[in-house]
Amino acid sequence: MPLMLPTVLKNLFTGYATRLYPVQVREPFENARGQISFNEDKCIMCGVCAQRCPSVAIDVEKKKNELTFYPLRCIVCEVCVHVCPSDAIDLIFKWRSPCYDKPVEVYKSTRVELLRVSAEEAKKEEPEKSD
Amino acid sequence: MTVVEAMERLWPVEVSPRTKYLRTIWAEMARVHSHLLWLGLLADAFGFESMFLQFWRIRERVLDLLEMTTGHRVIPSVNIVGGVRRDISPEQKKVIIDTLEIIRKESDSLVKVVTNDYTVKARTVGIGVLTKEQAIQLGCVGPVLRASGVPEDVRLTKYQAYGDLNYEPVVETAGDCYARAMVRARELFQSIDLQLEALAKLPEGEIAVKVKGNPPANETVMRTEAPRGELLYYAKGNGTRNLERLKIRTPTFANLPSLLISLPGCELADVPVIVLAIDPCICCMER
Repeated sequence: MPLMLPTVLKNLFTGYATRLYPVQVREPFENARGQISFNEDKCIMCGVCAQRCPSVAIDVEKKKNELTFYPLRCIVCEVCVHVCPSDAIDLIFKWRSPCYDKPVEVYKSTRVELLRVSAEEAKKEEPEKSD
Repeated sequence: MTVVEAMERLWPVEVSPRTKYLRTIWAEMARVHSHLLWLGLLADAFGFESMFLQFWRIRERVLDLLEMTTGHRVIPSVNIVGGVRRDISPEQKKVIIDTLEIIRKESDSLVKVVTNDYTVKARTVGIGVLTKEQAIQLGCVGPVLRASGVPEDVRLTKYQAYGDLNYEPVVETAGDCYARAMVRARELFQSIDLQLEALAKLPEGEIAVKVKGNPPANETVMRTEAPRGELLYYAKGNGTRNLERLKIRTPTFANLPSLLISLPGCELADVPVIVLAIDPCICCMER
């Protein structure tokens, strides 16, 4: 124990090693992989991210135009960010805050929605024309 | 890193020298963090709580370095087939060198306690002894094998940048828990030296090469020295998108049989220290 004494004495006169979280928060580094975010305007619902995700955190249903994201499964490995053909997934360096329930996020692609609506309108118009 | 390198051997893909150095630096950073974690847990196993927290406080510095350079704190996720995702900038290099020196200085005073303190010695010397012959017979790996006097380390096969670095395995002869602690403590400083050497020699160049297509019909075995010991990956491709077989042997799986020799006849209070001395990772082993 006497060998530990210098460290113990030093600790008495130095500051705390811990922070008063959540009052005092350490800012993450610029490169830190905090979380991923989806851009609904750019997404084309191709499903490549869902295929490549190693932790099955993304589920894409093209017919329904729905991308379901399970944030607690995500390990922020960055694979989806790199494989996305339309750059619709961004990496944010801020971490997610703690939560009580498992969140599930559902995104709808604006592009696919527009295409779907216009296709439906075209279908409606077609029988009118034939009449 | 091991699985990525196994895949690269399957193709085969030649990565750039910078990639090799970056992977080596990150692997050694992981070793520093793992050994600091283990030294803290050892102190915790026999109830030396203040030392446990002191070691973990130093460990935070390495985790910060990993977060700064790779983005993640424990599992870097930077290795991809053909290269790495992130690079180390000159500014980051400076920060790493400064922080490593601080870690060396702080660890030095604590390791002295582990080496010389009466309490630590009373709980580790002569506990869980494994002779050289027994360690070889049971197929032990990593620090457990080296603590029994066998100079065996996969880094001697000169994978990644280890061939260019000044590396010699750390060996102790006693084979008890104290020897295992000493091996890890000395490896901690050796690992810092290796990182500094690799950073000084870091060559310029590309960090990743593009790899296209599916894994070819081929098979390969890759061994690397993880902080806990030899990690083995066997991969077999069949030309399709999915591998035909992937076998992983983790160091804990290889080291677990050593408990059959070191546990019988010991005192109950020594069980945590003996079990911890092999640095068990049950979730890694159970596959």
